[in-house]
Amino acid sequence: MESKKKILLIDDDKDFLMATKLILEKGGYEVFLAEDGKSGVETAKSVNPNLAIIDMMMETWSEGFNVVSQLRTSETGKQIPLIMLSAVDLQGPYQSFEPPEELPTVDMVLHKPIKADELLKHIGRLLEK
Amino acid sequence: MNQHSAAARILIIDDEESILDGCRQALEKSGYSVITTSVGQEGIRLARENKPEVAFVDLKMPGCSGMDIIDLLSKDLPDIVLIVITGYASIVSAVEAMKKGAYDYLPKPFTPDQIRAVTKRGLEHRSLKIEADRLRAEKEYMEKNFITFVSHEMRSPLVTIQQYIETLKVIAGDSLGKDVYDIIDRCDKRIQNLQDLVEHWLDLSRIENGTFSETKEPLNMVNILEKSMEEMGPLCQRRKLDLRADLKNDLPRIMGDQESLMRVFSNIIGNATKYTPPGGIISIGTDYDDYYLYVSISDTGSGIPQDKLPFIFEPFYRVKGKEERQRGSGLGLTFSKKIMEAHEGKIEVTSKEGEGTTFILKFPRLYEL
Repeated sequence: MESKKKILLIDDDKDFLMATKLILEKGGYEVFLAEDGKSGVETAKSVNPNLAIIDMMMETWSEGFNVVSQLRTSETGKQIPLIMLSAVDLQGPYQSFEPPEELPTVDMVLHKPIKADELLKHIGRLLEK
Repeated sequence: MNQHSAAARILIIDDEESILDGCRQALEKSGYSVITTSVGQEGIRLARENKPEVAFVDLKMPGCSGMDIIDLLSKDLPDIVLIVITGYASIVSAVEAMKKGAYDYLPKPFTPDQIRAVTKRGLEHRSLKIEADRLRAEKEYMEKNFITFVSHEMRSPLVTIQQYIETLKVIAGDSLGKDVYDIIDRCDKRIQNLQDLVEHWLDLSRIENGTFSETKEPLNMVNILEKSMEEMGPLCQRRKLDLRADLKNDLPRIMGDQESLMRVFSNIIGNATKYTPPGGIISIGTDYDDYYLYVSISDTGSGIPQDKLPFIFEPFYRVKGKEERQRGSGLGLTFSKKIMEAHEGKIEVTSKEGEGTTFILKFPRLYEL
């Protein structure tokens, strides 16, 4: 039997992690969770996921971007598809936030809440490539 | 940053070399970094270049007014602490200098201990002032963005609940009976309503903050209406309503914000779908005259009683009908009215019970050569 593909989910909202984990498991993936950027990067190193999903707005505005940058420069994260999640719009109190000059590249941005079938469809497509 | 760091820079501008030497020795002994000059103009240059925390300025120098230096530096470098060095005879002018922004004065002759004490006090004053400014700015920012912060705090748990409901459907959907599934669906809808409410509330706070008017640009109304119809088409189809338009193609442009105008049209069309029974028609028309461009949105719905019409733009006002109470955020029309006001336009409504409702939106036309 082919082993399950591994997905790493990084978000500081525990409930959101739980909810999304169950959807991904239903989709047949093995899911790893991290509640902050630092442990997310460490987990990525130890489990070598096939895809990672990162929340943009964690403890601080830029943490999501930092995680993506770090993953992109690491051996494991260089190749894999990355999905960024967002729930904020830039009109709000975060309008003063200046995104880093060189935005790290993600493969896709999804807006929370995410429909289960859409999430699985996008992941399936990204992993096929 | 530690404002009391030993390396605080002190600038001394005085034409008497002996004073400069004395000050330098006294202050360097306390660990400050000292810059001195006997020429007024040079002092201004040094201050701009080195941004010292404290500057001592002699009021009486040949060929140069210490008062002017004080005046200039206090405007140029808002955080600098200026201290006047003055002879006993010129206390009056020291007071004058303090009115111009100097913090303190040091009468000649002074001892090393005295200049150190004045410097220390000046640095403390500076730290407090910087801290107070920072707190004031933070407070103003919080006040200005209070609604926005609260809304974001509300939105985050709502998003999570929606995600849980989505998950529930996925993992247990097949094993749930139809009635249980319906309950979950209703929860989902109510949460969506709550989220709409938060969004609309945010929208309103943005208009009140005035962040909105900066985004206006010349717009072609037909484009916007076509996009809105595209957006609302599927909903109308689901409710078996005919959404049709008669748009003039020679309309003058208007100044506006496309996104918020689309929200206005979506709101009004969305309302029409709620109050119009299946088989009904929602029609959009345009017109213009010498002053205004008009957009009308009519439905063949249940209509609004005359005595209720004046209240429909009030926040959270709902017209109760015979049918099940129609739910929305309760802020949709309030938002639409505010947006129209922000466009220097107007929104008007006419309605006949049993026949339908028409909203007319008036925009000042843009005159183009």
